[in-house]
Amino acid sequence: MNGRLNKRKIAFIFIFFLPLFLGLISLLIGSYPIGIKDVIKTLLSIFSSNNEIPDVYRDIILKIRLPRIILALFVGASLSVSGASLQALFRNPLVNEYILGISSGAAFGASLSIVFFGKNFPVEISSFIFAFIAFFSVLLISKGTGSDIISLLLTGVIVSTFFTALLTLVEFLASPYSLQSLFFWLMGSLSVAGWREVGYSLPFMLAGILVLSLYGWRMNILSLGDEEARALGLNVKLEKIIIMLTTTLVTSSAISSAGIIGWIGLIIPHISRMIFGVENSVVIPASALIGASFLLIADDFSRGIASFEIPVGIFTSLIGIPFFIYFLKRSGKIWS
Amino acid sequence: MNIWIKDLSFSYPNFTLKVKDLSFEGEKITSIVGPNGAGKSTLLKCIGMINPVSKGSIFINGKDISEIKGTKRAQLIAYVPQEQTSIFNFSIIDFVLLGRTPYLNFLSKPSHKDIERAEEALRFVGIKNWKGRGILEISSGERRLVLIARTIVQEPEIFLLDEPTSFLDPKHEFEIMELIKNLSKKMGKTVILTLHNLELAVKYSDNLIFMKEGEIIGSGKTSDILNEDILEKVYDLKMKIVEIDGKKIILR
Repeated sequence: MNGRLNKRKIAFIFIFFLPLFLGLISLLIGSYPIGIKDVIKTLLSIFSSNNEIPDVYRDIILKIRLPRIILALFVGASLSVSGASLQALFRNPLVNEYILGISSGAAFGASLSIVFFGKNFPVEISSFIFAFIAFFSVLLISKGTGSDIISLLLTGVIVSTFFTALLTLVEFLASPYSLQSLFFWLMGSLSVAGWREVGYSLPFMLAGILVLSLYGWRMNILSLGDEEARALGLNVKLEKIIIMLTTTLVTSSAISSAGIIGWIGLIIPHISRMIFGVENSVVIPASALIGASFLLIADDFSRGIASFEIPVGIFTSLIGIPFFIYFLKRSGKIWS
Repeated sequence: MNIWIKDLSFSYPNFTLKVKDLSFEGEKITSIVGPNGAGKSTLLKCIGMINPVSKGSIFINGKDISEIKGTKRAQLIAYVPQEQTSIFNFSIIDFVLLGRTPYLNFLSKPSHKDIERAEEALRFVGIKNWKGRGILEISSGERRLVLIARTIVQEPEIFLLDEPTSFLDPKHEFEIMELIKNLSKKMGKTVILTLHNLELAVKYSDNLIFMKEGEIIGSGKTSDILNEDILEKVYDLKMKIVEIDGKKIILR
Protein backbone atom coordinates (compact mmCIF):
# COMPACT_ATOMS: atom_id res chain seq x y z
CA MET A 1 0.00 0.00 0.00
CA ASN A 2 2.86 2.38 0.84
CA GLY A 3 4.28 1.83 -2.62
CA ARG A 4 0.94 2.69 -4.15
CA LEU A 5 0.61 5.75 -1.92
CA ASN A 6 4.04 6.99 -2.90
CA LYS A 7 3.23 6.43 -6.55
CA ARG A 8 0.08 8.48 -6.10
CA LYS A 9 2.00 11.25 -4.36
CA ILE A 10 4.49 11.39 -7.20
CA ALA A 11 1.64 11.35 -9.73
CA PHE A 12 -0.06 14.21 -7.89
CA ILE A 13 3.12 16.30 -7.85
CA PHE A 14 3.45 15.60 -11.59
CA ILE A 15 -0.09 16.72 -12.43
CA PHE A 16 0.29 19.71 -10.10
CA PHE A 17 3.11 21.20 -12.19
CA LEU A 18 1.85 19.88 -15.53
CA PRO A 19 -0.51 22.81 -16.32
CA LEU A 20 2.29 25.31 -15.71
CA PHE A 21 4.72 23.40 -17.92
CA LEU A 22 2.14 22.91 -20.67
CA GLY A 23 1.16 26.56 -20.40
CA LEU A 24 4.72 27.60 -21.17
CA ILE A 25 5.00 25.13 -24.06
CA SER A 26 1.64 26.32 -25.43
CA LEU A 27 2.95 29.87 -25.66
CA LEU A 28 5.27 28.59 -28.41
CA ILE A 29 2.46 27.13 -30.46
CA GLY A 30 0.72 29.18 -33.12
CA SER A 31 0.84 30.23 -36.76
CA TYR A 32 3.38 32.95 -36.02
CA PRO A 33 6.66 31.34 -34.91
CA ILE A 34 8.18 32.84 -31.78
CA GLY A 35 11.18 31.16 -30.12
CA ILE A 36 11.34 30.17 -26.46
CA LYS A 37 13.81 32.93 -25.56
CA ASP A 38 11.56 35.60 -27.02
CA VAL A 39 8.54 34.08 -25.30
CA ILE A 40 10.30 34.22 -21.93
CA LYS A 41 11.58 37.75 -22.57
CA THR A 42 8.07 38.88 -23.53
CA LEU A 43 6.61 37.28 -20.43
CA LEU A 44 9.23 38.92 -18.21
CA SER A 45 8.52 42.26 -19.83
CA ILE A 46 5.23 42.30 -17.89
CA PHE A 47 7.27 42.95 -14.75
CA SER A 48 9.83 45.30 -16.28
CA SER A 49 9.89 48.09 -18.81
CA ASN A 50 11.81 46.22 -21.50
CA ASN A 51 11.34 48.23 -24.67
CA GLU A 52 13.35 45.87 -26.87
CA ILE A 53 10.44 43.47 -27.28
CA PRO A 54 8.71 44.00 -30.64
CA ASP A 55 5.06 45.03 -30.35
CA VAL A 56 4.00 42.08 -32.48
CA TYR A 57 5.44 39.68 -29.86
CA ARG A 58 3.68 41.51 -27.07
CA ASP A 59 0.40 41.38 -28.99
CA ILE A 60 0.68 37.70 -29.88
CA ILE A 61 2.02 36.41 -26.57
CA LEU A 62 0.31 38.69 -24.07
CA LYS A 63 -2.93 39.60 -25.81
CA ILE A 64 -3.73 36.46 -27.81
CA ARG A 65 -1.95 33.33 -26.57
CA LEU A 66 -1.72 34.01 -22.82
CA PRO A 67 -5.42 34.76 -22.16
CA ARG A 68 -6.37 31.81 -24.35
CA ILE A 69 -4.08 29.45 -22.42
CA ILE A 70 -5.34 30.71 -19.07
CA LEU A 71 -8.92 30.28 -20.21
CA ALA A 72 -8.26 26.79 -21.58
CA LEU A 73 -6.73 25.75 -18.24
CA PHE A 74 -9.62 27.09 -16.19
CA VAL A 75 -12.39 25.89 -18.51
CA GLY A 76 -10.87 22.38 -18.51
CA ALA A 77 -10.54 22.46 -14.72
CA SER A 78 -14.08 23.78 -14.23
CA LEU A 79 -15.80 21.20 -16.43
CA SER A 80 -13.83 18.35 -14.81
CA VAL A 81 -14.46 19.48 -11.24
CA SER A 82 -18.11 19.98 -12.00
CA GLY A 83 -18.43 16.46 -13.50
CA ALA A 84 -16.58 14.86 -10.57
CA SER A 85 -18.77 16.64 -8.02
CA LEU A 86 -22.03 15.77 -9.78
CA GLN A 87 -21.05 12.09 -10.12
CA ALA A 88 -20.36 11.90 -6.38
CA LEU A 89 -23.45 13.84 -5.43
CA PHE A 90 -25.84 11.86 -7.63
CA ARG A 91 -24.01 8.59 -7.02
CA ASN A 92 -23.81 7.73 -10.69
CA PRO A 93 -20.86 7.42 -13.08
CA LEU A 94 -22.87 8.67 -16.07
CA VAL A 95 -23.92 11.95 -14.57
CA ASN A 96 -22.33 15.10 -15.90
CA GLU A 97 -23.31 18.68 -16.60
CA TYR A 98 -24.77 17.74 -20.02
CA ILE A 99 -27.03 14.98 -18.83
CA LEU A 100 -28.42 17.19 -16.07
CA GLY A 101 -29.38 19.95 -18.49
CA ILE A 102 -26.89 22.48 -17.10
CA SER A 103 -24.97 22.78 -20.36
CA SER A 104 -28.03 23.12 -22.59
CA GLY A 105 -29.48 25.75 -20.26
CA ALA A 106 -26.18 27.62 -20.21
CA ALA A 107 -25.89 27.36 -24.01
CA PHE A 108 -29.40 28.71 -24.51
CA GLY A 109 -28.76 31.56 -22.07
CA ALA A 110 -25.52 32.45 -23.79
CA SER A 111 -27.14 32.31 -27.23
CA LEU A 112 -29.87 34.69 -26.10
CA SER A 113 -27.23 37.12 -24.98
CA ILE A 114 -25.14 36.76 -28.16
CA VAL A 115 -28.06 37.07 -30.57
CA PHE A 116 -30.51 39.44 -28.90
CA PHE A 117 -28.92 41.31 -26.03
CA GLY A 118 -25.50 42.03 -27.49
CA LYS A 119 -23.26 43.78 -25.02
CA ASN A 120 -26.22 45.03 -22.98
CA PHE A 121 -26.43 41.85 -20.99
CA PRO A 122 -23.27 39.88 -20.12
CA VAL A 123 -23.28 36.43 -21.63
CA GLU A 124 -21.98 34.96 -18.33
CA ILE A 125 -25.00 36.11 -16.35
CA SER A 126 -27.54 35.02 -18.94
CA SER A 127 -25.76 31.69 -19.17
CA PHE A 128 -25.79 31.17 -15.39
CA ILE A 129 -29.48 32.09 -15.06
CA PHE A 130 -30.61 29.58 -17.69
CA ALA A 131 -28.19 26.89 -16.50
CA PHE A 132 -29.72 27.33 -13.06
CA ILE A 133 -33.29 27.20 -14.43
CA ALA A 134 -32.53 24.04 -16.45
CA PHE A 135 -30.78 22.20 -13.60
CA PHE A 136 -33.38 23.01 -10.99
CA SER A 137 -36.19 22.12 -13.43
CA VAL A 138 -34.57 18.69 -13.75
CA LEU A 139 -34.42 18.31 -9.97
CA LEU A 140 -38.00 19.51 -9.42
CA ILE A 141 -39.54 17.40 -12.19
CA SER A 142 -37.68 14.22 -11.24
CA LYS A 143 -38.43 14.60 -7.52
CA GLY A 144 -40.85 12.06 -6.12
CA THR A 145 -41.21 10.07 -9.32
CA GLY A 146 -40.10 6.72 -7.88
CA SER A 147 -36.80 5.41 -9.19
CA ASP A 148 -34.64 8.41 -8.36
CA ILE A 149 -31.59 8.08 -10.56
CA ILE A 150 -33.43 6.81 -13.63
CA SER A 151 -36.02 9.57 -13.46
CA LEU A 152 -33.24 12.09 -12.89
CA LEU A 153 -31.35 10.95 -15.99
CA LEU A 154 -34.52 10.80 -18.10
CA THR A 155 -35.65 14.23 -16.95
CA GLY A 156 -32.16 15.55 -17.65
CA VAL A 157 -32.35 14.29 -21.22
CA ILE A 158 -35.81 15.79 -21.68
CA VAL A 159 -34.92 19.19 -20.23
CA SER A 160 -31.71 19.21 -22.29
CA THR A 161 -33.73 18.51 -25.42
CA PHE A 162 -36.14 21.29 -24.51
CA PHE A 163 -33.36 23.86 -24.13
CA THR A 164 -31.64 22.59 -27.28
CA ALA A 165 -34.93 23.19 -29.14
CA LEU A 166 -35.03 26.73 -27.74
CA LEU A 167 -31.44 27.18 -28.85
CA THR A 168 -32.39 26.08 -32.37
CA LEU A 169 -35.20 28.64 -32.30
CA VAL A 170 -32.69 31.35 -31.38
CA GLU A 171 -30.49 30.22 -34.29
CA PHE A 172 -33.52 30.40 -36.59
CA LEU A 173 -34.34 33.93 -35.50
CA ALA A 174 -30.76 35.20 -35.48
CA SER A 175 -29.45 37.69 -38.02
CA PRO A 176 -26.75 36.34 -40.40
CA TYR A 177 -24.02 38.27 -38.57
CA SER A 178 -24.94 37.11 -35.06
CA LEU A 179 -25.61 33.59 -36.39
CA GLN A 180 -21.99 33.33 -37.48
CA SER A 181 -20.63 34.21 -34.05
CA LEU A 182 -23.21 31.94 -32.41
CA PHE A 183 -22.19 28.95 -34.56
CA PHE A 184 -18.56 29.53 -33.82
CA TRP A 185 -19.25 29.66 -30.12
CA LEU A 186 -21.53 26.61 -30.19
CA MET A 187 -18.82 24.42 -31.70
CA GLY A 188 -16.79 24.94 -28.59
CA SER A 189 -13.83 27.12 -29.19
CA LEU A 190 -11.34 29.11 -27.22
CA SER A 191 -10.43 31.22 -30.23
CA VAL A 192 -12.45 34.22 -29.07
CA ALA A 193 -10.70 34.18 -25.72
CA GLY A 194 -9.28 37.49 -24.65
CA TRP A 195 -8.63 39.23 -21.36
CA ARG A 196 -12.28 40.32 -21.27
CA GLU A 197 -13.46 36.67 -21.18
CA VAL A 198 -10.77 35.84 -18.63
CA GLY A 199 -11.76 38.80 -16.47
CA TYR A 200 -15.48 37.98 -16.53
CA SER A 201 -15.40 34.24 -15.97
CA LEU A 202 -12.11 33.41 -14.24
CA PRO A 203 -13.09 34.70 -10.77
CA PHE A 204 -16.22 32.51 -10.79
CA MET A 205 -14.39 29.46 -12.10
CA LEU A 206 -11.53 29.88 -9.62
CA ALA A 207 -13.88 30.38 -6.67
CA GLY A 208 -16.02 27.40 -7.71
CA ILE A 209 -13.04 25.10 -8.21
CA LEU A 210 -11.69 26.02 -4.77
CA VAL A 211 -15.05 25.53 -3.02
CA LEU A 212 -15.67 22.16 -4.67
CA SER A 213 -12.12 20.98 -3.98
CA LEU A 214 -12.49 21.89 -0.30
CA TYR A 215 -15.84 20.13 -0.25
CA GLY A 216 -14.22 16.84 -1.30
CA TRP A 217 -14.35 15.12 2.09
CA ARG A 218 -17.99 15.99 2.63
CA MET A 219 -18.77 14.73 -0.88
CA ASN A 220 -17.50 11.33 0.27
CA ILE A 221 -20.22 11.38 2.91
CA LEU A 222 -22.88 12.63 0.50
CA SER A 223 -21.93 9.83 -1.90
CA LEU A 224 -23.10 7.33 0.75
CA GLY A 225 -26.68 8.52 0.28
CA ASP A 226 -28.94 10.85 2.25
CA GLU A 227 -29.62 8.56 5.21
CA GLU A 228 -26.00 7.87 6.06
CA ALA A 229 -25.00 11.48 5.41
CA ARG A 230 -27.68 12.64 7.84
CA ALA A 231 -26.57 10.04 10.39
CA LEU A 232 -23.04 11.43 10.13
CA GLY A 233 -24.28 14.91 11.01
CA LEU A 234 -24.54 16.59 7.61
CA ASN A 235 -27.27 19.05 6.74
CA VAL A 236 -27.89 17.13 3.52
CA LYS A 237 -30.27 19.56 1.85
CA LEU A 238 -28.11 22.63 2.48
CA GLU A 239 -24.85 20.96 1.47
CA LYS A 240 -26.39 19.60 -1.73
CA ILE A 241 -27.71 23.05 -2.65
CA ILE A 242 -24.27 24.62 -2.08
CA ILE A 243 -22.60 22.01 -4.29
CA MET A 244 -25.26 22.20 -7.01
CA LEU A 245 -25.16 26.01 -7.15
CA THR A 246 -21.38 25.98 -7.29
CA THR A 247 -21.28 23.39 -10.08
CA THR A 248 -23.87 25.41 -12.01
CA LEU A 249 -21.74 28.52 -11.56
CA VAL A 250 -18.46 26.95 -12.72
CA THR A 251 -20.10 25.14 -15.64
CA SER A 252 -21.99 28.17 -16.90
CA SER A 253 -18.88 30.35 -16.54
CA ALA A 254 -16.88 27.82 -18.54
CA ILE A 255 -19.55 27.42 -21.22
CA SER A 256 -20.21 31.15 -21.56
CA SER A 257 -16.56 31.79 -22.32
CA ALA A 258 -15.69 28.72 -24.40
CA GLY A 259 -18.92 27.29 -25.75
CA ILE A 260 -19.92 23.65 -25.51
CA ILE A 261 -16.90 21.41 -25.05
CA GLY A 262 -17.95 17.82 -24.63
CA TRP A 263 -16.55 14.79 -22.84
CA ILE A 264 -14.32 16.52 -20.30
CA GLY A 265 -16.84 16.50 -17.43
CA LEU A 266 -17.50 12.82 -18.00
CA ILE A 267 -14.11 11.25 -18.63
CA ILE A 268 -11.62 13.34 -16.66
CA PRO A 269 -13.15 12.49 -13.23
CA HIS A 270 -13.01 8.79 -14.17
CA ILE A 271 -9.39 9.03 -15.26
CA SER A 272 -8.64 10.87 -12.02
CA ARG A 273 -10.26 8.09 -9.94
CA MET A 274 -8.39 5.43 -11.90
CA ILE A 275 -5.08 7.09 -10.97
CA PHE A 276 -5.76 8.42 -7.46
CA GLY A 277 -8.52 6.22 -6.04
CA VAL A 278 -12.00 7.37 -5.14
CA GLU A 279 -11.49 9.65 -2.16
CA ASN A 280 -13.08 12.89 -3.35
CA SER A 281 -10.84 15.34 -1.50
CA VAL A 282 -8.08 14.04 -3.80
CA VAL A 283 -10.23 13.24 -6.86
CA ILE A 284 -11.70 16.74 -7.18
CA PRO A 285 -8.47 18.79 -7.18
CA ALA A 286 -6.81 16.06 -9.27
CA SER A 287 -9.65 16.31 -11.80
CA ALA A 288 -9.12 20.08 -11.93
CA LEU A 289 -5.42 19.66 -12.68
CA ILE A 290 -5.84 16.84 -15.21
CA GLY A 291 -8.80 18.59 -16.89
CA ALA A 292 -6.84 21.84 -17.16
CA SER A 293 -3.88 20.11 -18.84
CA PHE A 294 -6.14 18.01 -21.02
CA LEU A 295 -8.10 20.91 -22.50
CA LEU A 296 -4.93 22.88 -23.06
CA ILE A 297 -3.38 19.98 -25.01
CA ALA A 298 -6.60 19.61 -27.03
CA ASP A 299 -6.60 23.34 -27.74
CA ASP A 300 -2.93 23.24 -28.77
CA PHE A 301 -3.87 20.58 -31.34
CA SER A 302 -6.88 22.59 -32.42
CA ARG A 303 -4.82 25.68 -33.25
CA GLY A 304 -1.48 24.11 -34.08
CA ILE A 305 -2.19 21.08 -36.26
CA ALA A 306 -3.42 22.93 -39.37
CA SER A 307 -3.17 26.39 -40.85
CA PHE A 308 -6.80 26.93 -39.86
CA GLU A 309 -8.43 26.30 -36.50
CA ILE A 310 -10.24 23.01 -35.87
CA PRO A 311 -12.99 22.98 -33.15
CA VAL A 312 -11.42 21.86 -29.88
CA GLY A 313 -14.33 19.51 -29.10
CA ILE A 314 -13.09 17.16 -31.84
CA PHE A 315 -9.76 16.77 -30.05
CA THR A 316 -11.24 16.38 -26.57
CA SER A 317 -12.95 13.26 -27.94
CA LEU A 318 -10.08 12.02 -30.11
CA ILE A 319 -7.49 12.34 -27.36
CA GLY A 320 -9.77 11.65 -24.40
CA ILE A 321 -11.31 8.38 -25.46
CA PRO A 322 -8.05 6.42 -26.06
CA PHE A 323 -6.75 7.73 -22.72
CA PHE A 324 -9.95 6.69 -21.04
CA ILE A 325 -9.81 3.18 -22.50
CA TYR A 326 -6.16 2.83 -21.44
CA PHE A 327 -6.90 3.75 -17.81
CA LEU A 328 -10.10 1.69 -17.78
CA LYS A 329 -8.15 -1.43 -18.74
CA ARG A 330 -5.51 -0.79 -16.08
CA SER A 331 -7.65 0.24 -13.14
CA GLY A 332 -9.29 -1.98 -10.55
CA LYS A 333 -12.83 -1.81 -9.20
CA ILE A 334 -14.02 1.75 -8.70
CA TRP A 335 -17.84 1.75 -8.74
CA SER A 336 -20.34 -0.63 -7.19
CA MET B 1 -29.14 6.90 29.51
CA ASN B 2 -32.90 6.41 29.17
CA ILE B 3 -34.91 6.59 26.00
CA TRP B 4 -38.55 7.65 25.98
CA ILE B 5 -40.68 7.87 22.86
CA LYS B 6 -43.96 9.77 23.19
CA ASP B 7 -46.86 10.04 20.70
CA LEU B 8 -44.59 9.39 17.75
CA SER B 9 -46.09 9.16 14.31
CA PHE B 10 -44.30 8.79 10.98
CA SER B 11 -45.84 7.97 7.61
CA TYR B 12 -44.76 6.59 4.29
CA PRO B 13 -47.29 6.09 1.49
CA ASN B 14 -49.44 3.11 2.66
CA PHE B 15 -47.68 2.81 6.01
CA THR B 16 -47.88 4.63 9.32
CA LEU B 17 -45.73 4.08 12.37
CA LYS B 18 -47.43 4.93 15.63
CA VAL B 19 -45.76 4.77 19.03
CA LYS B 20 -47.86 6.08 21.89
CA ASP B 21 -45.54 5.59 24.83
CA LEU B 22 -42.37 3.52 24.81
CA SER B 23 -39.47 3.73 27.19
CA PHE B 24 -36.42 1.58 27.78
CA GLU B 25 -33.18 1.87 29.64
CA GLY B 26 -29.84 2.53 28.04
CA GLU B 27 -26.40 0.89 28.35
CA LYS B 28 -28.20 -2.30 27.36
CA ILE B 29 -28.98 -4.21 24.18
CA THR B 30 -32.53 -3.62 22.98
CA SER B 31 -33.81 -5.55 19.97
CA ILE B 32 -36.80 -4.52 17.89
CA VAL B 33 -38.42 -7.67 16.48
CA GLY B 34 -41.45 -8.41 14.36
CA PRO B 35 -42.50 -9.66 10.93
CA ASN B 36 -41.60 -8.00 7.63
CA GLY B 37 -43.24 -4.61 7.22
CA ALA B 38 -43.81 -4.19 10.96
CA GLY B 39 -41.96 -0.87 10.99
CA LYS B 40 -38.80 -1.98 12.83
CA SER B 41 -36.34 -0.13 10.60
CA THR B 42 -38.65 2.90 10.43
CA LEU B 43 -38.70 3.13 14.24
CA LEU B 44 -34.92 2.73 14.37
CA LYS B 45 -34.44 5.52 11.83
CA CYS B 46 -36.86 7.75 13.76
CA ILE B 47 -34.79 7.26 16.93
CA GLY B 48 -31.72 8.36 14.97
CA MET B 49 -33.69 11.25 13.40
CA ILE B 50 -32.72 9.83 10.02
CA ASN B 51 -36.44 9.83 9.36
CA PRO B 52 -37.40 13.40 10.17
CA VAL B 53 -40.04 13.01 12.86
CA SER B 54 -42.83 15.53 12.43
CA LYS B 55 -45.23 14.32 15.12
CA GLY B 56 -44.30 13.30 18.64
CA SER B 57 -41.04 13.37 20.55
CA ILE B 58 -38.07 11.21 21.39
CA PHE B 59 -36.27 12.00 24.62
CA ILE B 60 -32.79 10.81 25.54
CA ASN B 61 -32.10 11.35 29.21
CA GLY B 62 -34.99 13.81 29.24
CA LYS B 63 -33.71 15.87 26.31
CA ASP B 64 -35.75 16.06 23.13
CA ILE B 65 -33.41 14.86 20.37
CA SER B 66 -35.04 17.07 17.75
CA GLU B 67 -33.32 19.93 19.61
CA ILE B 68 -29.90 18.33 19.12
CA LYS B 69 -28.75 19.22 15.64
CA GLY B 70 -26.29 17.95 13.04
CA THR B 71 -22.85 17.01 14.26
CA LYS B 72 -23.85 17.13 17.97
CA ARG B 73 -26.47 14.49 17.27
CA ALA B 74 -23.99 12.44 15.23
CA GLN B 75 -21.64 12.52 18.24
CA LEU B 76 -24.45 11.05 20.35
CA ILE B 77 -26.11 8.56 17.99
CA ALA B 78 -24.55 6.41 15.25
CA TYR B 79 -26.45 4.42 12.67
CA VAL B 80 -25.41 1.25 10.87
CA PRO B 81 -27.54 0.60 7.77
CA GLN B 82 -28.55 -2.90 6.67
CA GLU B 83 -26.00 -2.87 3.89
CA GLN B 84 -23.37 -0.32 3.08
CA THR B 85 -24.55 1.91 0.29
CA SER B 86 -21.28 3.31 -0.98
CA ILE B 87 -21.06 3.50 -4.74
CA PHE B 88 -17.33 4.18 -4.58
CA ASN B 89 -14.77 1.54 -3.76
CA PHE B 90 -13.29 3.48 -0.83
CA SER B 91 -10.24 1.98 0.82
CA ILE B 92 -11.32 0.37 4.09
CA ILE B 93 -9.40 2.89 6.20
CA ASP B 94 -10.92 5.87 4.33
CA PHE B 95 -14.37 4.36 4.76
CA VAL B 96 -13.90 4.00 8.53
CA LEU B 97 -12.49 7.53 8.71
CA LEU B 98 -15.79 8.88 7.37
CA GLY B 99 -17.08 8.18 10.89
CA ARG B 100 -14.85 10.99 12.23
CA THR B 101 -16.77 13.61 10.22
CA PRO B 102 -18.86 14.85 13.20
CA TYR B 103 -15.60 15.87 14.89
CA LEU B 104 -14.01 17.59 11.91
CA ASN B 105 -14.16 21.31 11.27
CA PHE B 106 -16.12 22.35 8.22
CA LEU B 107 -14.11 21.57 5.05
CA SER B 108 -11.22 19.94 6.97
CA LYS B 109 -9.91 16.38 6.63
CA PRO B 110 -9.07 13.70 9.22
CA SER B 111 -5.77 14.02 11.10
CA HIS B 112 -3.14 11.38 11.96
CA LYS B 113 -4.88 10.90 15.31
CA ASP B 114 -8.12 10.15 13.49
CA ILE B 115 -6.28 7.57 11.37
CA GLU B 116 -4.92 5.93 14.54
CA ARG B 117 -8.46 5.81 15.95
CA ALA B 118 -9.72 4.20 12.75
CA GLU B 119 -6.98 1.57 12.82
CA GLU B 120 -7.79 0.85 16.45
CA ALA B 121 -11.48 0.41 15.60
CA LEU B 122 -10.59 -2.00 12.80
CA ARG B 123 -8.52 -4.05 15.24
CA PHE B 124 -11.42 -3.98 17.74
CA VAL B 125 -13.88 -5.42 15.22
CA GLY B 126 -11.32 -8.02 14.16
CA ILE B 127 -10.57 -6.89 10.62
CA LYS B 128 -7.01 -7.77 9.74
CA ASN B 129 -5.12 -6.96 6.57
CA TRP B 130 -7.29 -4.00 5.64
CA LYS B 131 -4.46 -2.24 3.88
CA GLY B 132 -4.86 -1.94 0.15
CA ARG B 133 -8.36 -3.42 0.15
CA GLY B 134 -11.51 -1.62 -0.98
CA ILE B 135 -14.91 -1.65 0.68
CA LEU B 136 -16.49 -3.26 -2.40
CA GLU B 137 -13.90 -6.03 -2.53
CA ILE B 138 -14.59 -7.67 0.84
CA SER B 139 -17.28 -10.13 1.89
CA SER B 140 -20.60 -8.82 3.18
CA GLY B 141 -19.75 -10.15 6.65
CA GLU B 142 -16.52 -8.19 6.71
CA ARG B 143 -18.38 -5.16 5.36
CA ARG B 144 -20.73 -5.24 8.34
CA LEU B 145 -17.71 -5.29 10.64
CA VAL B 146 -16.20 -2.32 8.80
CA LEU B 147 -19.51 -0.47 9.09
CA ILE B 148 -19.49 -1.09 12.84
CA ALA B 149 -15.86 0.10 12.99
CA ARG B 150 -17.02 3.31 11.28
CA THR B 151 -19.61 3.88 13.98
CA ILE B 152 -17.08 3.10 16.73
CA VAL B 153 -14.82 5.96 15.55
CA GLN B 154 -17.91 8.14 15.65
CA GLU B 155 -17.69 7.63 19.46
CA PRO B 156 -21.44 7.77 20.06
CA GLU B 157 -23.34 6.82 23.20
CA ILE B 158 -26.08 5.09 21.23
CA PHE B 159 -25.59 2.57 18.41
CA LEU B 160 -28.48 1.91 16.07
CA LEU B 161 -28.03 -1.20 13.93
CA ASP B 162 -30.47 -2.16 11.22
CA GLU B 163 -30.57 -5.94 10.66
CA PRO B 164 -26.85 -6.36 11.35
CA THR B 165 -26.91 -10.11 10.73
CA SER B 166 -29.14 -10.45 7.68
CA PHE B 167 -27.74 -12.65 4.88
CA LEU B 168 -24.74 -13.67 6.98
CA ASP B 169 -23.48 -17.19 7.59
CA PRO B 170 -23.57 -18.49 11.21
CA LYS B 171 -19.89 -17.70 11.83
CA HIS B 172 -20.22 -14.03 10.81
CA GLU B 173 -23.59 -13.84 12.56
CA PHE B 174 -21.88 -14.97 15.77
CA GLU B 175 -18.96 -12.54 15.30
CA ILE B 176 -21.28 -9.58 14.78
CA MET B 177 -23.49 -10.43 17.77
CA GLU B 178 -20.47 -10.92 20.05
CA LEU B 179 -19.16 -7.56 18.87
CA ILE B 180 -22.51 -5.95 19.65
CA LYS B 181 -22.40 -7.58 23.10
CA ASN B 182 -18.95 -6.07 23.65
CA LEU B 183 -20.18 -2.61 22.64
CA SER B 184 -22.74 -2.82 25.40
CA LYS B 185 -20.96 -4.84 28.10
CA LYS B 186 -17.35 -3.67 27.66
CA MET B 187 -17.86 -0.15 26.34
CA GLY B 188 -21.08 0.59 28.24
CA LYS B 189 -22.92 1.80 25.16
CA THR B 190 -26.63 1.72 24.42
CA VAL B 191 -27.33 -0.60 21.49
CA ILE B 192 -30.67 -0.69 19.69
CA LEU B 193 -31.03 -3.08 16.79
CA THR B 194 -33.62 -4.60 14.55
CA LEU B 195 -33.45 -8.36 14.13
CA HIS B 196 -35.29 -10.95 12.11
CA ASN B 197 -33.64 -13.83 13.88
CA LEU B 198 -35.67 -14.37 17.06
CA GLU B 199 -33.20 -16.83 18.56
CA LEU B 200 -30.39 -14.26 18.32
CA ALA B 201 -32.65 -11.54 19.71
CA VAL B 202 -33.55 -13.68 22.72
CA LYS B 203 -29.98 -14.81 23.30
CA TYR B 204 -28.30 -11.39 23.17
CA SER B 205 -30.93 -8.80 24.11
CA ASP B 206 -31.59 -7.34 27.54
CA ASN B 207 -34.82 -5.79 26.25
CA LEU B 208 -37.21 -6.71 23.47
CA ILE B 209 -39.67 -4.53 21.58
CA PHE B 210 -42.31 -6.45 19.62
CA MET B 211 -43.81 -4.67 16.61
CA LYS B 212 -46.55 -5.44 14.12
CA GLU B 213 -48.15 -3.29 11.40
CA GLY B 214 -46.52 -0.11 12.59
CA GLU B 215 -47.45 -0.47 16.24
CA ILE B 216 -45.77 -1.64 19.41
CA ILE B 217 -47.33 -4.89 20.62
CA GLY B 218 -45.22 -5.19 23.74
CA SER B 219 -41.89 -4.25 25.25
CA GLY B 220 -39.84 -5.01 28.32
CA LYS B 221 -37.02 -7.10 29.72
CA THR B 222 -36.45 -10.18 27.61
CA SER B 223 -37.05 -12.51 30.55
CA ASP B 224 -40.36 -10.80 31.37
CA ILE B 225 -41.86 -10.10 27.97
CA LEU B 226 -41.02 -13.26 26.05
CA ASN B 227 -43.91 -15.74 26.04
CA GLU B 228 -45.76 -17.91 23.56
CA ASP B 229 -48.81 -15.61 23.47
CA ILE B 230 -46.93 -12.55 22.33
CA LEU B 231 -45.05 -14.57 19.69
CA GLU B 232 -48.34 -15.85 18.26
CA LYS B 233 -49.87 -12.36 18.37
CA VAL B 234 -46.93 -10.80 16.56
CA TYR B 235 -46.10 -13.52 14.03
CA ASP B 236 -49.51 -15.23 13.62
CA LEU B 237 -47.69 -18.48 14.23
CA LYS B 238 -47.69 -20.90 17.10
CA MET B 239 -44.25 -21.22 18.64
CA LYS B 240 -43.06 -23.06 21.69
CA ILE B 241 -40.59 -21.78 24.26
CA VAL B 242 -38.50 -24.31 26.13
CA GLU B 243 -35.90 -23.70 28.77
CA ILE B 244 -32.62 -25.57 28.55
CA ASP B 245 -29.89 -24.85 31.13
CA GLY B 246 -31.74 -21.68 32.15
CA LYS B 247 -31.80 -20.36 28.57
CA LYS B 248 -35.02 -19.82 26.66
CA ILE B 249 -35.13 -21.50 23.25
CA ILE B 250 -37.87 -20.89 20.68
CA LEU B 251 -39.14 -23.91 18.76
CA ARG B 252 -41.16 -23.57 15.59
